[in-house]
Amino acid sequence: MLQSFRKPQSEIDSRSEKYCSLQYLSMKRSVWKRAAWIIFVSLYCSGSPAIAVNQFGVDLNGRPINNLMSAGTHAVVLLFVASDCPIANRYIPEIKRLNRELGTASVRFWWVYPNPQDTMNVVRQHQKQFGIPGDAVLDIHQQLTHMARATITPEAAVFVPDGAGMREVYLGRIDDRYLALDKERPHALQHDLERAIQAALGHEQIPQPNGPPIGCSIVPR
Amino acid sequence: MEMKAFRCIFVVLICSVPAIMPVATQANDTAETSVTWSRQIAPIFYKNCTSCHHPGGAGPFSLLQYQDALRHGLQIAAVTRSRYMPPWLPEPGYGDFVENRRLSDSDVMLIQKWVRSGMSPGSLQEAPAPPRYVSDWVLGKPDLILSMERPFVLNASGADIFRNFIFSYPLRQTHFIRAMEIRPGVPQVVHHANVLIDRTASFRHEHPHWEDGIPGMDITMDAGNTFDPEGHFLFWKPDTPALIEEPEMPWRLDPGNDLILNMHLKPSGKPETIVASIGLYFSKESASKKPMLLQLEDDHDLDIPAGKRDFIVQDDLTLPVDVNVLGIYPHAHYLGKKLEGWAVLPDGRKKWLIRISDWDIDRQSVYRYRKPVFLPKATVLHMRYLYDNSAENVHNPNSPPVRVRAGNRSVDEMAHLWIQVLPANASPGTDPRLLLEEAWMKHRLQKEPADIVALYNLASALVALREYGQATSAYRRLLVIEPDSVRTLNGLGTALENDGNREEAMKVYRQAVAADPKACDARFNLGTLELKSVQLADAERQFLEDIHDCPEDATAYSGLGVALAGEGHLDSARDQFRHALALNPQEFTALYQLGEMAIESGKPMEAAVLLSDAVKQHPDDLDAREHLALAYAQSNRLEDALTQLRVAAAFAPSNADLHALLSQVLSEAGQLQQAIKEQNIALHLRPDDVDGWNNLGVLEARTGRSIAARSDFLRALQLAPDDPQARSNLTHLPAH
Repeated sequence: MLQSFRKPQSEIDSRSEKYCSLQYLSMKRSVWKRAAWIIFVSLYCSGSPAIAVNQFGVDLNGRPINNLMSAGTHAVVLLFVASDCPIANRYIPEIKRLNRELGTASVRFWWVYPNPQDTMNVVRQHQKQFGIPGDAVLDIHQQLTHMARATITPEAAVFVPDGAGMREVYLGRIDDRYLALDKERPHALQHDLERAIQAALGHEQIPQPNGPPIGCSIVPR
Repeated sequence: MEMKAFRCIFVVLICSVPAIMPVATQANDTAETSVTWSRQIAPIFYKNCTSCHHPGGAGPFSLLQYQDALRHGLQIAAVTRSRYMPPWLPEPGYGDFVENRRLSDSDVMLIQKWVRSGMSPGSLQEAPAPPRYVSDWVLGKPDLILSMERPFVLNASGADIFRNFIFSYPLRQTHFIRAMEIRPGVPQVVHHANVLIDRTASFRHEHPHWEDGIPGMDITMDAGNTFDPEGHFLFWKPDTPALIEEPEMPWRLDPGNDLILNMHLKPSGKPETIVASIGLYFSKESASKKPMLLQLEDDHDLDIPAGKRDFIVQDDLTLPVDVNVLGIYPHAHYLGKKLEGWAVLPDGRKKWLIRISDWDIDRQSVYRYRKPVFLPKATVLHMRYLYDNSAENVHNPNSPPVRVRAGNRSVDEMAHLWIQVLPANASPGTDPRLLLEEAWMKHRLQKEPADIVALYNLASALVALREYGQATSAYRRLLVIEPDSVRTLNGLGTALENDGNREEAMKVYRQAVAADPKACDARFNLGTLELKSVQLADAERQFLEDIHDCPEDATAYSGLGVALAGEGHLDSARDQFRHALALNPQEFTALYQLGEMAIESGKPMEAAVLLSDAVKQHPDDLDAREHLALAYAQSNRLEDALTQLRVAAAFAPSNADLHALLSQVLSEAGQLQQAIKEQNIALHLRPDDVDGWNNLGVLEARTGRSIAARSDFLRALQLAPDDPQARSNLTHLPAH
């Protein structure tokens, strides 16, 4: 399963932009047409990885995002968040800290909103309320969610360049502040994500999270 | 390698929530598929969850609609199964509490089934109507609204914080509070809040920059010099918007009091601006029942080694009187694990008061018993707390664990069990709360002989219990620890004065004033003692000094008024009393003195108004009631006069004067038989009262009982052979 997701992302070309745009525009059409497009795209993806690679959702202006990394990027960090998830919201300052301290030209952070209720307006409002800097992605078809296999908000995925594409090296909690919904430490003791990013930058073996992510489940679309 | 590790984590995740993964399409268990939001789940949520989980409520999201429940279904299943939600710590079977928020096992089961079977909405038309929640004051507009002096900005992140905000009570008269509502500003970030009454505004004086809020989980305050124990838990948690007291048990706020709002705040991820307000609802009646908060504690023994996972402290207290336990409030910080409270009755039976096996400060609360728990005198109250200072305790604020002792920071610990009791079956004449205070403070001193607060409180209680000798020795012990304590010197002076040792008392008061010339209490007491010793010029000087240093102290003006009146300057005295009332319309001495002056000036109706207010302040002051009765009698309100005298006689059944007065007013009211009865009681209490026998004779004569009357007059003459009244009355009696 992982292999099949990993490979397509290795190819990035201008053709796929059109598909992404088309797919997004199709959302505004009737329901059956939208459904048809999704089926079409997913079939097409499985058959031709080169096309599916750039279905990365849209930004807050509705523009498709085709490229998660640029030249010089050593790591891409996807933070799966939700505007209505209290634990995800409590993690925003910590994510902002990581973004501030580690988010250089070589580490690219993306705030990924996978849930259907997080519409463009809701996300704009959320970003304003919480003072969220950086790039937001509306994962309107949950390609990023599936690509990373994220299930919870907040949850982080780290990708590193692999040949011409990317490879997922970390998926899981940000730190160990929450051990369960009813078990919260006053302060985190292990900063799992930070450790993973640093290892990725140092081209070291990536340490994996020592516990499950805790929060709200991602709502299937 | 990474992939392998990743798979493991994924498995862990799956394993951690296996029971709550939705399997809607595969659900084939008919029992499970029949659970729907509309039929079974909405009623459970509306009853147990939506009081917090509604728009604008304290919960982080609403659960009023099906879509809300669907969105958070997996989490709801997990937190109800672990019983994290609804928040309720006491174990069932260890105390029967109102507002029990524990979900029944069958409700928990239904929620699990509903989530497992795909969270079916059912027919939404069949769902019950969602409850409605008001965003304004729940009890309507309060009589008084207090707001935070300045907004407080809670940081977006970091550990929970504990902050104290001071609200001053701005009114110039005392009010009894029947209900209080706290609006925390941003309810979503407030775990709980406690309101404390600072009778002396001491916390404000200690913290000059109090407007920004003062950090601290627990605070200490100066309760003042009079015995005035707190009796109410003023505790707010997210689903109790209004705290309504029993009608007989309102709580009191006096001019100069502060309310301190101690808030436990949880950062939400973004900065939150908090402006909390407190709404107060006044009671027309004062408190006729006075509960008291007792505390079991063992902070002294809290010295928990790093890594220790089963550290135990305990305490016990023997009750000196019968009580009814109304509520209980266990309190520890982050290391507390198992908190237990129970009572051992005199016959050896054990009665559980509370048991919490998995303490969590975030979900702490006051618990009130559904029915008061009666505990007879000689019952022993117990507490036993277990602490876990190991790294395995996820709440441990120290990593790695360190040695922890008692303190008010969140990294310190506490071991407190507060118990609200209402004394029962008290013998008349003694406030049973004083006996509780005495027992409690003596117990504290057994644990820590140099506990100066306990020593001071014990001494004060002993003064109030009229145990002046013991009180004197307690104050003297305290002076050994704090030789120049003005407060202790003042207390010692009071004990000595009450013990009849005026000379020594005056010396001690002077010592206090010398130690601190601005010691208003000691100077006031010195002035009052000089008044009693008829050193009027000295007294006048003391009160003038007092007014200079404490110009807001209405009682100082009253003292000056009494001194001036004694010197014959009645108009000046009247001015001082009026000044006292302008500062505090309920100042007793000023009301009483002005009332008395009005009687003497032939203005009984004006006197009745003043004295009636005075009696409200001191219901057990017999002089005030007697004068009020006189004012009523002179205003031709004989029934009101009788009422006052009867109440006074109930307070002091062996006071002969009161029965004699009752007899006179009854006679005025034409109730001669009752008048004779009361006069007989008076004479039974004071058989050598010449006027009393004479008056009884007159009453007997008026009812035609000449023989009895003759015998009464003869009895008077026997006691005072030359009494002209009795002799004259005897001659007026008809012959046999």
